[in-house]
Amino acid sequence: MSFWGLAFYVVLVLAVILGTMAYAKTGLSDRVFKNPLTRLYEHVYIFVKNLCVSIIGPHGERFVPMMFTFWIVIFVGNITALLFPTSPTADLSFNLGMALIAVGYVQYAGIVSQYEHLRHEGVSAAAAIPKAIFRHLMHFTGPRLPLVLIPISGLIFVVELISEVMKNVSLSLRLYGNIDGGHQAADAMNKLLYDYYIPVGAFLMPIKLLTCIVQALIFCLLTCVYISLVTHHEEESHDTKEAHAAAH
Amino acid sequence: MEQFGLGIGIAALGAGIGLGLIGYGAMQGMARQPEALGRIQIAMLIAFAFVELVFLLTVFIIPGTLKG
Amino acid sequence: MENQKNQGSAGKALVFFVIGVALMVGGMYVSKNVDIPFQHTLAEQGIPLDLGKTIATIGVFLILFKLLEFFYLKPLTEAIDSRNNALQATFDEAEELKARMTELKTAYEDKLAKSEAEAREEIQKALADAQQMKNQIIAEARTQADEIRRKADEDIEREKAKALVEMRTQVVEMTLTATEKLIGESMDQERQRQLVEKFIDTVEVGK
Repeated sequence: MSFWGLAFYVVLVLAVILGTMAYAKTGLSDRVFKNPLTRLYEHVYIFVKNLCVSIIGPHGERFVPMMFTFWIVIFVGNITALLFPTSPTADLSFNLGMALIAVGYVQYAGIVSQYEHLRHEGVSAAAAIPKAIFRHLMHFTGPRLPLVLIPISGLIFVVELISEVMKNVSLSLRLYGNIDGGHQAADAMNKLLYDYYIPVGAFLMPIKLLTCIVQALIFCLLTCVYISLVTHHEEESHDTKEAHAAAH
Repeated sequence: MEQFGLGIGIAALGAGIGLGLIGYGAMQGMARQPEALGRIQIAMLIAFAFVELVFLLTVFIIPGTLKG
Repeated sequence: MENQKNQGSAGKALVFFVIGVALMVGGMYVSKNVDIPFQHTLAEQGIPLDLGKTIATIGVFLILFKLLEFFYLKPLTEAIDSRNNALQATFDEAEELKARMTELKTAYEDKLAKSEAEAREEIQKALADAQQMKNQIIAEARTQADEIRRKADEDIEREKAKALVEMRTQVVEMTLTATEKLIGESMDQERQRQLVEKFIDTVEVGK
């Protein structure tokens, strides 16, 4: 897909999202949401919020806008893939962009959580920023090992960095493979009875619809899991420290 | 991609067995503990995603590297 | 404070917007003009990757996060909050009304019970008064009856005594006259009387 082709489909998806949202906004002033679109968006919002809060923890609410955007864009993009020859989410470059943002935001969230933890401990703002970045990088070295085993820590660091890069690849390739693979499977099946004008591939529609929802869910789910891995760790160690102090 | 047909078939077989195992375990867990249904479903989906990814990597990466 | 916060987030959104637009334009430029050799290798392997599109996508999403947050999520959360608040207020009001109703009911019941108790007390008091009056009347009647009986008894005693005395004198007189007539001899009147009286005394004593 060329650049302008992708731009067209992105604009299409965004137009659908913003148009439905603008229509859904008119129902917001009701005392009880009667507008079906408003209710739909409310359900999506509550679902994403529950997802964030249940996986990341009580501080997960600040990631809700991002997750909501990802969910809506991926879902509408996948639905577009059902009705149009292609869609933004069937393009690897677009998916890689989303994955880069997600993983980049995970790093940002990890640094911010370390920073807030440091500030909570009473470190000054200027000193906390480099320390937070350092601590976030130390997070990649795995568990704390004795001095002799530092080369192993270095090895774990390299492996973790590679896995961080692979997160991008896995997030983007999974979405691309599912949506584009669905298209290719449908095309291949259409060829079977092409001579009789029977679109066999169209009967894949239900399973593709399921894929649409599941892929949107998995993208958000995995991003939530990555964020929780980065932000939870510190709090847990904090809790265990307190528990130890209480035990002594 | 034609020359990798059988290989991709075997990859699909492996991924299918993996997905089936995950579904088996998840359903058993759900039947034993219906109250933990939501959490099991989420964990199941994550595991699904990883197994699926292995298959996708097989399809997209391996043929390319072997050819190149 | 709130205003400042809003201004701060608006400024942040503006920064996001500028960066997003810059990334979109940059992505377009990269996609059209920059030739990245590693993309060719990937394309040969059947993986169509265009980093220009990726960069543009990042720009689009940077804008989209803020756009959706301000365009939809903020009004939605406000609406949900206000709805929850309204519900809460309604429930609170209902609770309050219920509490007040219960209070009124208990007060009314208290009042009712109090008036009933008062009435009962009144009746009891009247009954006690009546009882007391009855007892008093009975006691008075009884004393009066006793008095009358005592007086009658006294009268009877007195009459009896009088009659006895009279009878005695008459018996003495009759005895004297009878004796006078029998013996015909006149005795000393005074002496005779003494004799007879002595005799009667002995008779009385002997009786």
